[in-house]
Amino acid sequence: MTLLELDNVTAWYGPVQVLDGVSLSVPDNGAVGILGANGAGKTTTLRAISGAVRTGGRITYDGRDIRGLHPEQVAKLGIAHVPEGRGTLGQLTVRENLRVGAYLRKDRKAVAEDLDYCLELFPNLKDRISSSASALSGGEQQMLAVARAFMARPRLLLLDEASLGLAPSTAKAVYEAIRRLRLESGIAMLIVEQNANLAFTLVDSAIVLETGRNVLSGSSAELKGMDEIRRAYLGG
Amino acid sequence: MNRMSKLLSNTWVRVAVVVVVAALLLIAPLVLPVFANQTLTRMGVYAVAVLGLNIIMGYTGQVMLGQIFFLGVGAYVTAYGVNNDWNIVVTFFAACILPGLLGLVIALAAARLGGLAIAMVTIALPIIGVPLAKRLTDLTGGSQGTSARFSSAPDWTGLDNDQWQYYMVMVITVIGFVLAYNLVRGKFGRAMAIVRDNEAVARSIGISPYRYKVMAFTIASIFGGASGFLYMVAVQYTSPETMSFAHSISLLAAMVVGGAASIAGSLIGGVYYVLVPQVTNAIDPTVTAISQGIILVAVLFILPGGLVSLPRVIRRLTRKRDTAVATSPQTTSPMHQDAGQAAEGPETERQGQS
Amino acid sequence: MDTFIQLVIDGLALGSVYAALALAIVLVNQSTGLINFSQGAMAVLSAYFAYVLIGWGFPTILAILGSIVVSFLLGAIVERLLIRRFEGGDPDTAVVVTIGLLTLFTGIAGWIWGYNNRQFPSLFPLETVDILGAVVSVRSIGTTLTIVGIMVVLQLLFQGTKLGLALRAVAINPSSAAYSGLPVGRLLMIGWGLAAALGAVAGALVAPALTLTPGMMDTALVYALAAVIIGGLNSPLGAVVAAWGIGVLENLAAVYVPFIGYDLKIAVPFIILFVVLLVRPQGLFGRKVVVRV
Repeated sequence: MTLLELDNVTAWYGPVQVLDGVSLSVPDNGAVGILGANGAGKTTTLRAISGAVRTGGRITYDGRDIRGLHPEQVAKLGIAHVPEGRGTLGQLTVRENLRVGAYLRKDRKAVAEDLDYCLELFPNLKDRISSSASALSGGEQQMLAVARAFMARPRLLLLDEASLGLAPSTAKAVYEAIRRLRLESGIAMLIVEQNANLAFTLVDSAIVLETGRNVLSGSSAELKGMDEIRRAYLGG
Repeated sequence: MNRMSKLLSNTWVRVAVVVVVAALLLIAPLVLPVFANQTLTRMGVYAVAVLGLNIIMGYTGQVMLGQIFFLGVGAYVTAYGVNNDWNIVVTFFAACILPGLLGLVIALAAARLGGLAIAMVTIALPIIGVPLAKRLTDLTGGSQGTSARFSSAPDWTGLDNDQWQYYMVMVITVIGFVLAYNLVRGKFGRAMAIVRDNEAVARSIGISPYRYKVMAFTIASIFGGASGFLYMVAVQYTSPETMSFAHSISLLAAMVVGGAASIAGSLIGGVYYVLVPQVTNAIDPTVTAISQGIILVAVLFILPGGLVSLPRVIRRLTRKRDTAVATSPQTTSPMHQDAGQAAEGPETERQGQS
Repeated sequence: MDTFIQLVIDGLALGSVYAALALAIVLVNQSTGLINFSQGAMAVLSAYFAYVLIGWGFPTILAILGSIVVSFLLGAIVERLLIRRFEGGDPDTAVVVTIGLLTLFTGIAGWIWGYNNRQFPSLFPLETVDILGAVVSVRSIGTTLTIVGIMVVLQLLFQGTKLGLALRAVAINPSSAAYSGLPVGRLLMIGWGLAAALGAVAGALVAPALTLTPGMMDTALVYALAAVIIGGLNSPLGAVVAAWGIGVLENLAAVYVPFIGYDLKIAVPFIILFVVLLVRPQGLFGRKVVVRV
């Protein structure tokens, strides 16, 4: 079953067109990567799904067209977005950030359970539960951003460059936790990543964008075998 | 419309237009009734005040709410000079320099805090200025105000007082506008524009936003003082009421309605400041404030570039109809921001808070 | 000593009115990043609502509560219809809009109710009590306690409720908050509504002393802005403390500094302000805001 499908999606920032026909599909429980250089339109693709940019084409989620919805409406449908730059709420504490993540949920008991699960998944956060998010390290902030998105109990997680600005070992740890999250929760994921090596530890398949359109797609194994992918994104 | 603009772009036609307008302005007071001359004179007075406000607000992007205070100080200095038999030229320069110095001191403190601090501090100027003027009775005549008769027409001219005052105000207004025109088109003006558009960029190319804000503020207050001198030429009397809070807001409204960051807009602002209350007061004095509020809000919504942008907007609309091609409209707003972007909603992350 | 105590308590009451308006300004600034210069004019309209209700025979307290509700709606509508278009753009343009609203609301009040002073009944009895030998008016004590009460309620709202958490989240980062499903637009309306409701309290507190006129809050607005700068734009507690400080100091200065007197006491906050701006530009309680490119 396909959960999310993008068909020839275009997007503009004011008069500037940044997406020029992006297509992809994310199956239920699947994980798909979006690879590409800076400015290829990876982040914009996620923002298009969330309704944060003006968009053309067709975006189908769970059988319905969601193009043109506002970000908060998209969130209500079960899509959580960890934006570029993490979007953690600096002056709020870690606990408050997680509570904001669970804003749409009414089931207090389940929310409390999920909060415990997050703290078990990211033990660093447990020690910092009452400190403000801006006091966290970069890696901890990234973990908080992922945990906050999980607190919404989404069906689909949009993850934008979770490794950005992190030390390699930290980035690896973050991806390890996300992989565990995927296995244990079954949440489908769409992941933007500059570091293709990291991405392939998580995703089953990926597309490659160049100047706002698809140039390649395939399973992780296929893509890893391609010379041009290796040269461009895998460092040899 | 197109033929019209082509015609206007011809240099000779432009020169001819300027000559005709100048001639009309020179002849007008000789044929118009006294009341019309006085009205035109007062438009010149406030055009200079609006022009000063435009330099700090329109061109440098710092909301300033106390311009009327500098007009008031200039008027009081003029009255004091005249009543103490200072030379008229000395009086004029004192009326410019003293408000300028006050403006400098205020700006040095207010410009330190970025963002809206200048607006928040300068809104207090008229509110402090009025009781202060009432208190300093020896200098200002207190609540009674003070008059200074120095702008009666000399006998050799053969002019009436209103005509003589008209010419005095017009000469100084024209000089002020020429100076301001050169200022905003020169290096200084470009630096101010960079400070307005992006302070970080300004800093990165060695322009100190703080220093330019202070300088622009000082220049604005000098123009304010000069308009105070002109006010005394035209009215020959001032009181604490001259610099009331409501007048201060009206001056800002006049600038926005005329057109921010526009020399011609300042002139329109002066006309608006005098004309609209005159009309609304004639209808019903209680509608003056509300109509001013409606006009200001309406202009911000419909015509953010002010009345001066009206020909441009009309031309764009008619061109659109001619060619039926939808080009992306370039709107100018009071502070030169892209109105379309503003409408996109809560996209931008608030600066420095996350 | 008696005079001193009396002046301090009256100063606190005076400061409390500025504090209510200052809190409203901080609230709007926290939720939308704007300074609402029409906050005082909106408070004047609120006071006129209450005045109308009193005229219809409602008891003062009910009339004030009614005007608080109406003001909440007015604030929310103003945000939705007039301010929304300018949010996220250049803050200076939006500020000019609020200045336009200041003129508009003052004009509306003047157009409907005229410019004559109107009597507004006090919520508190005009009695005095004896505190340490000083004669203190019940009104002053009541006004001050009202603000303390409002502070407590606001603190509970923002720290203890889901709505408060959501309001804070939207204030910090609206686009990120939207990704968690927070209804950003509605929360902004609530923020403006709460601010207008606070303004209504300020209006009801100040109207009995100053009598009701369209320009009644102009001076209070200036005091409130000074308090907001001194206290720090992002600190509600700072704004209230600064407002009290201003109220007390100006009252003392009016009596003990002969040149200042009652007519020039409005200069006091600005003398303080100048010193603060030169020494500590982020305000006494505010955190330094780092502006990114």
